[in-house]
Amino acid sequence: MTAGTRPPRPAARRPRALRRFGRNRLSLLGAGLVALVLALALFGPLLAPYPAHVAGGIDTAARFQPPSAAHPFGTNELGQDVLSLTLAGARASVLAGFSVVLIGGTTGILIGGIAGFLGGWIDEILMRLTDLMLIVPNLILAMTVAAVLGPGFQNMVLALALGWWPGYARLLRGEVLAARERPHVTAARAMGASQARVLVRHILPDCVSPVIVKMSLDMGFAILMVAGLGFIGIGVRPPVPEWGTMLATARAYMPDMWWVAMAPGLAIFVAVFGFNLLGDGLRDSLDPRGGR
Amino acid sequence: MLRFLFRRLLMLGPVLVGLTAIMFVIARLLPGDPVGLAAGPNATLAERAALAQEFGLDRPVWDQYLSYVAGLARGDLGRSLMTRRPVAEDIAIYLPATLELVLAAMALAIALGLPLGLLTALWQNRWPDRLGQVLAIGAISMPRFFLGLLLQLVFAIWLMWLPLGGQLPVVTLPPPRVTGLVTLDAALAGDWATLGAACRHLALPALALSLSPLAAILRMMRASAIEVMAQDYVTAARALGLPRRKILIKTIGRNAVSATLTVIGLYFGWLLGGTVLVETVFDWPGLGLYATRAILSQDMMPVIGVALVTGLIFVAVNLAVDLAYGLIDPRVRYE
Amino acid sequence: MTDPFRALNRRDLFLLAGAGVAGAALPGRLRAQAPRVLVIASGQDFPNLDPHTATGYAPAFFMRNVYDPLLRVSGNPPRPVPGLARSWDSSADGMTHEFHLDPAARFHSGAPVTAEDVVYSFARALRLAKGNSWMLRGILTPGGLEAVDPATVRMTLAAPFAAFLQVLPWFPVVEKAAVEAHLGEDDGQSWLMTQTAGSGPFALKQAQPGALYRFVRAPTAWQGGGGNLDGVIWRIAREGATERLLLQRGEINVALDLTSEDMDALEGAPGVVRVIQPEYRTFTIKMNTRRGPLADINMRRAISHALDYDALRDTAGYADLMVGPLPLGILGHDPDLAVPRHDPDAARAHLARTATPEGGISLKIVYSANLEQQRRYALVLLDSLRALNITLEIQPMRWPEMIAACASPDTLPDFFPVYQTANYGDPDNFAYAAYHSASNGNWQNPVFADPEVDRLIEAGRTETDIEARKAIYGDFQRKVVADAPDLFGVQERRKLGFRDAVQGHVFTPVAANAIECWPLSLV
Repeated sequence: MTAGTRPPRPAARRPRALRRFGRNRLSLLGAGLVALVLALALFGPLLAPYPAHVAGGIDTAARFQPPSAAHPFGTNELGQDVLSLTLAGARASVLAGFSVVLIGGTTGILIGGIAGFLGGWIDEILMRLTDLMLIVPNLILAMTVAAVLGPGFQNMVLALALGWWPGYARLLRGEVLAARERPHVTAARAMGASQARVLVRHILPDCVSPVIVKMSLDMGFAILMVAGLGFIGIGVRPPVPEWGTMLATARAYMPDMWWVAMAPGLAIFVAVFGFNLLGDGLRDSLDPRGGR
Repeated sequence: MLRFLFRRLLMLGPVLVGLTAIMFVIARLLPGDPVGLAAGPNATLAERAALAQEFGLDRPVWDQYLSYVAGLARGDLGRSLMTRRPVAEDIAIYLPATLELVLAAMALAIALGLPLGLLTALWQNRWPDRLGQVLAIGAISMPRFFLGLLLQLVFAIWLMWLPLGGQLPVVTLPPPRVTGLVTLDAALAGDWATLGAACRHLALPALALSLSPLAAILRMMRASAIEVMAQDYVTAARALGLPRRKILIKTIGRNAVSATLTVIGLYFGWLLGGTVLVETVFDWPGLGLYATRAILSQDMMPVIGVALVTGLIFVAVNLAVDLAYGLIDPRVRYE
Repeated sequence: MTDPFRALNRRDLFLLAGAGVAGAALPGRLRAQAPRVLVIASGQDFPNLDPHTATGYAPAFFMRNVYDPLLRVSGNPPRPVPGLARSWDSSADGMTHEFHLDPAARFHSGAPVTAEDVVYSFARALRLAKGNSWMLRGILTPGGLEAVDPATVRMTLAAPFAAFLQVLPWFPVVEKAAVEAHLGEDDGQSWLMTQTAGSGPFALKQAQPGALYRFVRAPTAWQGGGGNLDGVIWRIAREGATERLLLQRGEINVALDLTSEDMDALEGAPGVVRVIQPEYRTFTIKMNTRRGPLADINMRRAISHALDYDALRDTAGYADLMVGPLPLGILGHDPDLAVPRHDPDAARAHLARTATPEGGISLKIVYSANLEQQRRYALVLLDSLRALNITLEIQPMRWPEMIAACASPDTLPDFFPVYQTANYGDPDNFAYAAYHSASNGNWQNPVFADPEVDRLIEAGRTETDIEARKAIYGDFQRKVVADAPDLFGVQERRKLGFRDAVQGHVFTPVAANAIECWPLSLV
């Protein structure tokens, strides 16, 4: 009764998914870009040609130098090497984006999972709250919270995560409701498995793929939002380099010192592009039925 | 259908109340010193206390919330702590500029997204299609504020074709206010010079804002067109010798509209709340700049007001979209 | 290039011509010519139009153009010139002053400006005790104000004050009858927050908060001389380089908030005139002399010698290094004062005498989040402190939080950056606000207190003999430098940009960005 009626479990689907993923050149490009960005986040400060500048060192004799061999992206208003700051800036941006998605995702998964699994009035209350939070403009909410808490890495992450969970709550609730009706779950329940065991062993594994797909698609968006907060002026504290903040500072020197803006702007684009390509590829291969 | 509409409209009340409750909780539970910010650097303790009392900030949060909701019923959104002006009046001034920007961006996205989506579907998996896919993902990945800066750099500074920012040249008075949308008002007044100037100012911010809905429409259009082309009845119709083009236009046309509607519904609210960065770059006097100013001074009434209005418009647009589905597709039933 | 004045449409012409008396008085043929409207771009809004409660440079612009004070200041160095008062007499001891009003002076309502209005305005400013009233606190009391006759005001000071005439420009005169008609419960503050009751050369025509303000030449403009402007537009340009680009393109006539980078970019730009002038505006970094590692004078001296002053000046662009606590060129400033300069050996020698001779500590600086230049200074300090093996935590703050941090030595961070702008061109303005113990708890002087310095400051503000004052301020400067309470930073030059069509501008180093528009002409 068990093995025969079970649909292929995600684990069994994965090798095929991997092959499908591997066939898509765009997804591979995305994976490559993401690997590059992650490497920068981990080792960026070590790769920077001017590590002293990353720690806040300045060289006011060399302010606003245009791109050259020594400074491929020029220097900024304090004579710091823009390339070094951009390489090191990957850490704040990627880490913040990742934290936001992880915290928001976990919260959403908990809320959606509980709502879907327990049902009844708890479901009703949680889902109404979720619907309401979906209506609140995300950026405005995040800006409000971040502005009041003041600039700083944790504050920024908290502000964004606060509005990040409703999407996951909805997704997970839907998945749980669908999973509850699948034969292997009803079977487990009929055989007397406890509620918790059913949830952990039989329902949650089915939800992994869509959550992973959503998280990877969200990473790009989260990086954009982090940069957006930095651009408004409520991001990290100096001297920590961060792309959005760098872009906001550089803006004052456009158009004559345009190079100061190019590296951080392109870095945001490349990172987000990578995560979006990867997420797209993952969705096509892991979760073919999930359309956007 | 009327019953559906009635029920959905009835839901607006609780949505409003819920939305204000959320914003209130967030706005009031945070630390921060809005009164200190508004009272200014030289204010005495007594002046701060007086200001707090004037704005009811010395009362308990639930009490403030109840009077806010009571005011809401009269269309009163409270007063700004910084400017002491009624928030509802301010929003009435700034909302049209944002609406104009969002409408222009959506129009652009639809006008370009639909045909491009269809074309890439017809060329499925050939190089223009692949290029289109990459460009679409690229468009979604482009930070709008960076794109805005680049557009300014190229079109306003190097080429000098278009203005740098703002809604109209400073010395031009806005046309008589009818709708609040400057372009529309100028056209209504027959003031073609102002209309031209307004369009030139609108071009770059609208372009910067339109890119991600454009990509979304393109992708959705492509996906649904491909789906349609694979349908049994299309194959059948083709087997019966009906010209392919006729089938495509008829079935795909319907899909095009519903794809567009879906995206409009999704993006409208999102763009309304997301113009902040583009408005900052282009100095566009809209709701986003208004909200930013209020947020940076922790002036919560305008922030709650903006969240409320954008939330409401989002809900309203989605309701309209749901209704429109029914008009287009008789298979849709309202329950 | 677009010429904004040619882009005016017919309706604009009509409005401006109809509103301005100059336009109305012109023959019909001339009226069709474009009106002369000066467009000024600024990052500042007018949060409050009440001249007795507002502060900041945008309100100062408002006070100078929509209102009239008894006296104005003009020239470099600034001297008092007639405003509403056509002439004035001061007693030999400087305690009594009599002002004779110009009989032509008219409010925008058409009513003449009388001594009653003047007395009412000063009494109101002192009563509300906001805005600029601190300048006369303890100096002038309502009892010392007297309307001798409709055209004569007598002021008797409660304490001698050498700079009395210099502060009068900051006390604009409002129309008593107009304010009294709208007193409300707050002495007319709510009403004056959005309305005007002045006699200045320009009247507010239209306000779009956050975007732009239109002024027209007041039909009652009674001031003699003056330029040919029909109106003025104050356009708010929020973002960095916008002002410069607008000026370059000729879309505005005057840009008020230009950076040194903007000035470099504008060099040689056709049609643009740059004004780069020293002004009495200092930047210092205050140290917490009462608590923490900086309570030790050796640590303060070590840091004073570790700071890379050249880097500080480099990041500031058009700026001069300060020499001691007073701004360069002000009365009594000693250019030969011996002040600490970058000297790593001296810095390490002083550090060796502290409790932490090897450094290894972490200090904290805050800065105003919307002041980019302060962020740069903080980073220069961070870089300089590394030579002493001291790390620096940098925290951006909103202005009110910074004010709150000044309340006590316990809440004050180790370093506190301060810009101080002269409201009047007298050393007392700086000495009293920034070094007298009466200002403790205030952002201009959170903690520094020294009885000897207090005594010198008090002697300086009551002495009327110029040479004696110079000697007193000389002692004051040496005493302050010896205590090393501040890192004396830079004096950034005032940077303004004009189109060459603007004529008649005379630079005055007191709040120079609050332009007086009356003398200006457009050609």
